[in-house]
Formats: sequence, structure tokens, C-alpha cells
Amino acid sequence: MLLAAIIFLAIGGFSLRAQAYFVQSNWLSWGLSPGSVVEPYRLTHYSPLAITGIWLVITSIGLGLALGVRHFLIPLFTRTWPFLLHRSASRQMILGAKLTAATIAFVVSLGSVWIGLYWYACRSELFMVPPPVRVFIEGWLFIVLGLVVYLGTAMTALSKARWYTTKILGLAFAMVVICMIFLQWRLSWALAMVIIGVVVLLSQIIDTFLNREF
Amino acid sequence: MKLIDSSKHVAGPTKIFMTVLILLIAVGVLQVFIVQIAILWQTPSRAAPMKPKKVSDQEKHLEKIRNSAKQFLPEGTIHLVYEFSDTPTFSPDDQKQQEVYDANGSLLWSGLQKNRPYEYLSWTEVPSGNEKLDEQRMKQIYTITPEFSRPLEIPVRSREKIQQVWRYDPTRQLFVGYRADGTNIGYIGSTGFTDSKSRAKPFGTLKMFTAWCPQGSFSPTLLWQTSKRVYEINFEKQQVQLIFESTKENIKQMSLHKWRDIRPETPQDSKIPYQPLIMCRTEDNKHHLIMKNPDEKMTVTVDDDWWCEALSFTATTQDIFLMRPDTERRVPSALRKSPRLALEWLRKVRSKPYKQWIELYRVDDQGELNLLNRYDWTIPARPGSVVEASPPWLKVKHYACQFSSPLYDLTWYLLGGEFRALSSRDNDLISGFADMVRELRPGNSILNWLLALAMAGFVFRHGWPRQTSRPKLIFWLAFTLVFNLAGLLTYLALNHTPIIKCSSCGRSRCLAQVNCLRCGAELPAPKRRKLDLILNT
Repeated sequence: MLLAAIIFLAIGGFSLRAQAYFVQSNWLSWGLSPGSVVEPYRLTHYSPLAITGIWLVITSIGLGLALGVRHFLIPLFTRTWPFLLHRSASRQMILGAKLTAATIAFVVSLGSVWIGLYWYACRSELFMVPPPVRVFIEGWLFIVLGLVVYLGTAMTALSKARWYTTKILGLAFAMVVICMIFLQWRLSWALAMVIIGVVVLLSQIIDTFLNREF
Repeated sequence: MKLIDSSKHVAGPTKIFMTVLILLIAVGVLQVFIVQIAILWQTPSRAAPMKPKKVSDQEKHLEKIRNSAKQFLPEGTIHLVYEFSDTPTFSPDDQKQQEVYDANGSLLWSGLQKNRPYEYLSWTEVPSGNEKLDEQRMKQIYTITPEFSRPLEIPVRSREKIQQVWRYDPTRQLFVGYRADGTNIGYIGSTGFTDSKSRAKPFGTLKMFTAWCPQGSFSPTLLWQTSKRVYEINFEKQQVQLIFESTKENIKQMSLHKWRDIRPETPQDSKIPYQPLIMCRTEDNKHHLIMKNPDEKMTVTVDDDWWCEALSFTATTQDIFLMRPDTERRVPSALRKSPRLALEWLRKVRSKPYKQWIELYRVDDQGELNLLNRYDWTIPARPGSVVEASPPWLKVKHYACQFSSPLYDLTWYLLGGEFRALSSRDNDLISGFADMVRELRPGNSILNWLLALAMAGFVFRHGWPRQTSRPKLIFWLAFTLVFNLAGLLTYLALNHTPIIKCSSCGRSRCLAQVNCLRCGAELPAPKRRKLDLILNT
């Protein structure tokens, strides 16, 4: 979690700083000459946080995978589930603790860094125009994508099927959700996709975890 | 109800939804893969080289006339302008070798285009692909990507530096302005500039815009078309001018002629005193002409059977003209809704010669049309086979699509003619789904239903000994019929349990049910051993 935060902060901050220099010099070289038709694509611009966004997606998905494996797959390999389940805590409590820990990990390690980077990009001495609020929301959507991957990994780890049959469906579904979100231009649709993805995965994780034998 | 109980009611349907969704995608990918392999595998059959047919001078001359551009002089005379095809492609327009014929085919002039003594009317044109950003492309730039969406930002700048930036907000459908120091200037909406967010009115859903820097300015001006309105937005002056508003019908097409204040595109048309013109065609096929210098507006109504997409207008200070090209080889409107019928019609008429014509009309002050000139020519029948054999990969596609869900057909028929519009409308998820349905639908084939029945039969055979309840088995039978191969795979993924031979009746029975389905006997208990006695006590 700490590692993810450090990686994202270092790369995101560095790319933002580099982008600040590039954008300042690039804006003056726009090819707009009097008496000419302007190609409309020249009027669309990547946000200064574009490279940070790529790293946010990578870190978020990576963190989701790592946490999912750590929380649900490694105890299967090390056969430590029975030790955990035979404590005085109920299964619901154990599952709730794991899911809460993962959510906090995403909010603290990536969310706080993302808020910091966005705030930094909004300072007028860096960029002439502050990045749109839409970019900030999209960033949070990327963080939630990591949570979807975490749930997909958990679903895959908890499934008792074979790897080459339906065990991988949890992760495959998480990938489908990610692809569908990256096809959207409306934030509301993207949010709806995330909610559907989380509900579908979470309901199965709860059912499997409470009923399966370890 | 405990969480452990309630989770079952939600987890069951979500598991089926998740599995069938992934398997539908997997089956779709496999089908596309098979079709692509078939396309690659298909070796192109080379037609035997045709012997060059001897063409007489008369036929050569007629062909030249057919391939000529039909141009009109401002007084209405038609000229046929033939451009030699051996001119290098990248040579400037005025360096091209041309011949000009009159309507009777007599040569009037020959030479380089720049020396041509005639000046022809130029016409309204829809802004080309790289000159406009339409609704679809606008959605693309706002699509969520790992690099975030790309906002539309209009700079207001002097020669040296940017003074303001106006960013389009797609949610509020207006522009938000920023000064060079990052502070907010105000908002530009349909009612013009305002410094208050609450007073700013949205433009409406964008359909298309085109941008240009007027002569003497480094800042772009936008022609912004929404469903019912056209605005001209000048960010430098912070002005919004409503150019056109349709009260009832949506605007279907917008084309321009000399409207944008840019350097002359061709030196040839500079002598004709044109009036800047915008033509807006609404869904009721009315053509609304908006002119400036001086400001004028006019509505022209044409016959319903005219090829409205091909009509062009132009306005000079004296007259307004309409050019109407048309052909006999235009699919009748009744057949246009069905691609199959349209293709059949085209195949029927393919072997016959057909007429093309072009007409020039003068539009009077009341918007009435007066025919000035008309020119007809005949296109000969295409030699060779009348009906092309369908390529083999189409057969592969036909068979591959038989494994698709019959639901695709149902969706296709329910949406009907709107389907094509759907595939280019709304968000990419819907258009992607529409494209997938169109390409992979089984076409209501008997084979598709037979396959679905066979799969349902397999499910019945497989599920009968494994059933835990009758409604569940019926559900899976119906599910397989509806989703075809994806349904069968979903059933197998979620219901495959081992079976044993019943110790009582000797027939197959599942382990999930305590009593045998056939004889009602319980599952065999292991023989009692000494240790069991201790455990029981």
C-alpha cells in the first residue's frame, strides 16, 4: 500500500512537473493563422494530468491484484484459512475486515495522492487553466477500478472450480467492467458500470465466502 | 433474514449474469475469429485478363463526356469539363490539363486550368472530415481513457501570447472562460456572454461544429450546430449570434458556401459576386437558406422524391441557384429500409444502361424553383456477369452465426429501421452492441433453432439425473434455447456435478439430492465400523 502510494506520488509528481514545462511552451506554438480553417482536433488537448492518469490506472489495478492475491489466494496456498476461521470472529466479520482494509488502502494510498496531485495541477503558476473537475472524477473512477480488480481476484481465489474452467471468471468479469468503462464518455454510465460490477462480484464473494469449506 | 441466506438469492442471479455475459463475449470473439480466418484463407480468384476491346473514336468521345464534370456558368449555360487523368496527382489544381465541351459535345477550349477563360459557379458543401467535429467524434474526445478525456479548449490569442482560454463543458453545454492568470472570466452560452453561472443558458446537444480564424485574427470563431439551432461564436468579442433556428424539425444537414471569412480557396471563383450562404436542411426536407451581406433568409421546398442529400445551392448578389444531380440508379425509397431488398434491386438493374442528369434551377424571391437548364447522359451497362457469386467467407459467417443467440434477431426486429441509427448514436456501449447484433445475428434461420433445440435436448439429458427441482431444470432448458451455445456453456459451467449409479435402482442419480429421483432411495450410507460407535455416543 505504502509502496503503491510512493510509486504513484513519485512518477505522477515528476510527470506533472515535466508536463508543466511542456504545456507552457507548447501552447504558444499552436498553428492558428489568420484567414484559415482550423482543424477542430487542434482545439482538443490532453489534460496535464494525462501521464499521471496512466500511472494511476496501472498502480490501481496492480494494487487491486496484489491485495486480492494477498488477502484470498495466499492463505489457500499456505493453508492458513482454517486458523483464521476458527478464531472467535465470525466469517462475516473476517470478510468485512478484509474488504474494509482493501477499501481504506485504496482511499489512503491512491486517493490521497491523487487529491494532492490534482490540487498541485490546479495552481495557476503551473498551468494557465486548471484541469477540469471531470478529470478529478475520472481519477477517482480509476481508483475504484482497482477495487473492482481486487474483488475479481478475490472471486477467482475463492472459487473452487479448476483454473482452466470457471475459476478465472471473476477476473475476466473485472476486465470486462474495465473495458466497458473505457468505452464510455458519460461519467454517469461509467459510474453505473462500476456499481453493477461491484454488486455482481461482491454478492458472489459474500455467498462463496460464507458457504464454502476451506 | 441472515446474510448467509439472503446472499444466496442475490448471488445466484448475479453468477448467471456474469457467466453468460462473459460467455456471450467469448462466443462472439470466437465467431469473429472464425470469419476472419475464413477471409484470410480465401485466395483471391483472379479473373482472366479481358482482351482490350477496340473502341471507336465516337465511343471514346462519348466516354470523355460521361466522365466530365458538369459545370454551370452564372447565366445558366452548362459546360462539360474533362480533366486528363495523366496529370500528376500532386500537381496544383491550376496546373491540370483540361478540355471544355459544350452541351452538344463540341470542344470549346483546351489547355491548363489556370488559363481557362470560363468561371463556373461553386456550390455549398458540407465541411469535410478534418474541418468539422461532429457529435460522434465529440463523444470520442470525451471518452474515458487512461489519459483522461480531452476537453475542447478555444484560445483567444494575440500574435505572441494566449490571453484567454474558453473550455467547453459538455455537462452544462456551455463554455467557461479563463484568463491567462487562471481566474474565471465568465460563461458563453446560447444567450451570449454572462459572468454568472446561473444566468448562462446551455447551447443544447452539439451536432457539429467547424472553426476558422477570420482574416486578421489569431483566435478561432466557431459555427456551432445543435439539433435545432446554428450559432456563430466569436470568443474574441465574446459574442454569440443565432444564425438559424428551426422551431419544429431537427436540422439534418448543414452546408456552407463562402460563409467563413478565410482566404479565397480558389482564385477562379473570385470574380463572381457571391453572397455568403449557409444551407440547413431540416428533417421535413425543407432547405433553409441563410445569407449575409445583406442578411436574407429563405426556405425552399422540393419534391419528396428528390435526392435531397445531393442538392447544392449558391447565392450571388443577383440570383440564387439550385443544382440537382440525379440518377435512375437510385434505390427507391420503399426499398431503402431493407439492405437485402436494396441489394436485390441493384443486382436486377445492374445489367441495364441507365440515365443520369443534372438540372440547374433559379430560386425566385418566394422560394419557387424555375428550371434554367438540364443535361442528360447515359451510362452503358457494365459488361461481365450480372450477379456476383457471394464470397465463400459469407457462407462461413452464415454457419458461424448459427451459434448466436436468437435474442439478437429479436432485438434486430424490435428495433427495426432504427438499428442503423442506433449503431452510430449514443454511447459506444450501445453502438458496439448494435454492431455486434447486426454482424452476428443468426438471421432467423431454421438451423439456428435446430441447434438451439439440440442443445436444449443435451441439457435435458444431462440435467435430468442432476436436477434438484423441476422449475430449475425448465429454467435451464429455456435459458439454453434463448442463449444457444453461450446458454449451454453457462449451464455446464454452473451445473456440472458428478453422478453415481443408484444402489437401489441402478440408474444415474446426482449427489446433490438426498433421495433418488427415480426410486426415492436415500444415498447409500457407509457401513458401520467400530469407530462409528464411539463417535455416535
